[in-house]
Amino acid sequence: MNKLFLKTFSVVAILFATNVIYAQEKIKIGAPLALTGGLADEGKKQQIAYDMWLKKVNAAGGIQVGNKKMKVELITYDYQTDEKRAQSLAEKLITQDKVSFLTSPFGSGHTKVVAGVAERYGIPVVAPVASSESVFNQGYKNLFGTLAANSGIVSNMVTLFTKQYPQTKKIAILGREDVFPKAMAAEMKIYAEKAGLEIVFNELYPVGTLDHAASLSKIKAAKPDWIYVSGYTQDLVLARKQMSDLGVNAPIITMITGPAYKEFTDALGPLAEGISSATWWHHSLTYKSKDVFGSTTDFYKEFVAANKSDPDYVHASSAAALIALQMAIEKAGSIDKDKVREQLANLDVLTFYGPIKFGSNGMNQSRDLPIIQVQKGKVVVLYPDVIKQGTLQLVK
Amino acid sequence: MLQALANGLMLGGLYACIAVGFSLVWGVLNIINMMYGSLIIFAGYITYFIWYGTKLTPIVLLLPVTIAMFVFGYLLQYLVINRVVKRPVLTTLTLTFGLDMILYNFMNSFFEATPRRISLNWGSFTIADIVLPIDRLVAMALAFILTFLLYLLLRASKVGRAIVAVRMDRDAASLMGIQIPQIYAITFGLGAAMAGACGVLFAVAFPVTTNISGLLLGKAFVICVIGGLGSVPGALIGGLALGLIESFGSHWFGPQNAITIGFVLMLILLMVRPTGLLGVKGYE
Amino acid sequence: MNKSITAFLVVFISLAAMPFIADNYFVKLATFIAMYSALALSWNFIGGFTGYPSFATAAFIGLGSYAGAILQNAGINLIIAWVLASIITIIFAAFLGFAILRVKGHYFAVGSIAVVELLRLITSSWSSFTGGGDGLNVKIMEGGPDFAGRVFLYAMLAVMLLAFLTTLWVDRSKFGFGLKAIKQNEDAADMVGINVTVYKIAAFSLSAVFCGTVGAIYASWIGYIAPVDAFSIITTLKVPVMVLLGGEGTVFGPVLGALVFVLLEESVWAHFLEANQAILGLVIVFLIFFLPGGILKINYRKLLAKIQGVKGA
Repeated sequence: MNKLFLKTFSVVAILFATNVIYAQEKIKIGAPLALTGGLADEGKKQQIAYDMWLKKVNAAGGIQVGNKKMKVELITYDYQTDEKRAQSLAEKLITQDKVSFLTSPFGSGHTKVVAGVAERYGIPVVAPVASSESVFNQGYKNLFGTLAANSGIVSNMVTLFTKQYPQTKKIAILGREDVFPKAMAAEMKIYAEKAGLEIVFNELYPVGTLDHAASLSKIKAAKPDWIYVSGYTQDLVLARKQMSDLGVNAPIITMITGPAYKEFTDALGPLAEGISSATWWHHSLTYKSKDVFGSTTDFYKEFVAANKSDPDYVHASSAAALIALQMAIEKAGSIDKDKVREQLANLDVLTFYGPIKFGSNGMNQSRDLPIIQVQKGKVVVLYPDVIKQGTLQLVK
Repeated sequence: MLQALANGLMLGGLYACIAVGFSLVWGVLNIINMMYGSLIIFAGYITYFIWYGTKLTPIVLLLPVTIAMFVFGYLLQYLVINRVVKRPVLTTLTLTFGLDMILYNFMNSFFEATPRRISLNWGSFTIADIVLPIDRLVAMALAFILTFLLYLLLRASKVGRAIVAVRMDRDAASLMGIQIPQIYAITFGLGAAMAGACGVLFAVAFPVTTNISGLLLGKAFVICVIGGLGSVPGALIGGLALGLIESFGSHWFGPQNAITIGFVLMLILLMVRPTGLLGVKGYE
Repeated sequence: MNKSITAFLVVFISLAAMPFIADNYFVKLATFIAMYSALALSWNFIGGFTGYPSFATAAFIGLGSYAGAILQNAGINLIIAWVLASIITIIFAAFLGFAILRVKGHYFAVGSIAVVELLRLITSSWSSFTGGGDGLNVKIMEGGPDFAGRVFLYAMLAVMLLAFLTTLWVDRSKFGFGLKAIKQNEDAADMVGINVTVYKIAAFSLSAVFCGTVGAIYASWIGYIAPVDAFSIITTLKVPVMVLLGGEGTVFGPVLGALVFVLLEESVWAHFLEANQAILGLVIVFLIFFLPGGILKINYRKLLAKIQGVKGA
């Protein structure tokens, strides 16, 4: 027994030691990602975007730090959509791989975990895919999120839709019991009430619901003018399909954040017609910027050429997060954590993704987030006016 | 109200199909197959991909997929699981859990977790204000038919009766000349085949993704306890019961609590009547 | 017996010395090893000694996490919150045990898994109290990462030590003897006069208390808990595997199993990004086939004889 134990331990110890040695002339950024497990698809999207940015930056010789250029090394680990691993890996990246900065993974929950670790060590972390206030209300000084707050999406939508169709009086809200979708449902309740809409249904469904028939039947009986559903792609696809099966209809159907993802429209085909939503970014935006991509259109073209499909907000926000970090480093003229953190806090720039200016809680300040709708099989932008491509159509 | 009833029955039919194979394996081999949810999803993915490539109606695929899964299950049992069949539940459960992790990882890597939906759009038909989606109706009908076929098989065929004999008393069956490892393999294969059939039906009505394989397994557990182990009618009753419970539970108590009620019921039954509504005593 | 104690001390001291010989990453790893050792030792009471395959471990961990987090957020001192969380967990386990220990084998296993799911669902729905799907935030400990790292390492080590001492006591006591008798043949044990029900509930409760403590400490450590992670089916399945790996029903087995498992996991998934779950599955399969009694029960003589036999022939 003792021999076996010693053997195991020494083999493993050797494996550890081999991980430790790295040269210091590069800027090291840690990227814990969910490459397997429930959030694998989102994690992979982040990885694609990170790699796009990395290639461009290193091709240009690296990031300008003071009077020299330093190349960037992105150290990625798969935390398997497991919270414990997320924390453990964040710590490993900081203490073992000695990264100077961190990115956070998809979703509010795991971002919180990574941010907690980063806060302990004083390492700035950029969060590309976390938008719930509850992630940013911990008083963390090192957390910076590129997605704007949830509320920004809903308030504009309510205003726009009710203005265009004042006969919209009753709304049904169905949300998923999970950080982000729940927040979106709660926001809608607030703004709907403010706008004087009558809330005829407001429930949450548990994670892993296979059947929405009961909720949908109740919604049908309430005859709403607007049906609003929040959840992740599979929930929304299922809900929309069941709505069709059960004959549940309304002039306005919104699914957050369904149509923002290609998977949604692919899976539903003709059933996706007329579904409205909002997103944090859309590739038809026309920002021109002084970052490695140069403009939204250029980012879009490059992405399509490399991946043969359209980028969504996850891709864009992930690249933007690294751009924000890059700009902060450039402004600080150093990779010292405190200096870069200060520059991140004061950042006010325009990128291909849109303006980035972090508020006091670390969130990107709210601005006019695109509202979209699927029309004739394509995703059309309804708002803001500067990039408006169409107006809201009622669902037939 | 009637809509809730209809919903419950349709869901129940599908649930019954999910549980039947699981119940059979548990009842006869005394093995809790943790791979079950993943097997269903696996079949679902295969169905999806064949449909995607050839646009064949999934119903046509029912037979080939089922047979393929039978072979898969048979081999798995014969080569791997047979060696641990006599071990305590902890061992077998852990083993199937380990195998499940392999399958799950494989699916995630090759098929990716993105929800895949077969867009059939068969619509629905309405009777007296109750809407019945056709694909669910078809799935339910097929589930019943398959369950009935399995029941016939167990009752009427030589192989089936051998399986039942093994379930009732393994040693006696062995003395009568029944080849136990063979029967075990066939049973497991049947279980896998049912999972396969269920996967095909499932893919018709739901988006397929690895994320829900655990959920399906959980449903199978609950149904087996409610309906009773090792009994095909039991799984049927259990499935329908769960479908109805979830449907009405959702209607009266809100969707959040519907699933909870199912589990609470299961636990209560475990305490009070572990063999379920129709189960056979003797398997602990 | 003394070998077990020595082995344990070796592991314990190495872990405790971690802050002084390596950086925070290793301290964290040591903390995880201590944590899983405590969990494995806990499971051993009901699964190893008594022979009831419980998969309720995650239910107790989650309960402890939430109890600890809620108490802490209500302003109660850290350590007191941990203790209270443990007490709450053991009371819950006693009631639960009374309910489901009536059934054995498969039914018990399934019932125990169901409890995990049930608690997860309840926690998820009862948002006003538990925060529901949002999860709960717990204030992060002040003092910087090194200090916090040590605090939690020693906290987990303390639980591990307590669990081990309890294991030692149970192993040698009449109580332990009773449990082993129940495992062998419950009806016979009953006839001989052992109060089977009380013994089982006691073992089950013992298997829960340290899990609750671990859960509470864990919540304070990470600073955030949510239903899906707190009541994790994967964790509840990993713990018995660790005990099986080391040798169930033994005193040192669980600790050895936890140690080897965690180290294996570390070295495996660090190197195989996409296939790590599958490899874990393969490890489990390998374990079941080649190490049925765990590492401690490998019959060296038989193995040696086999090798010699091969050489001779």
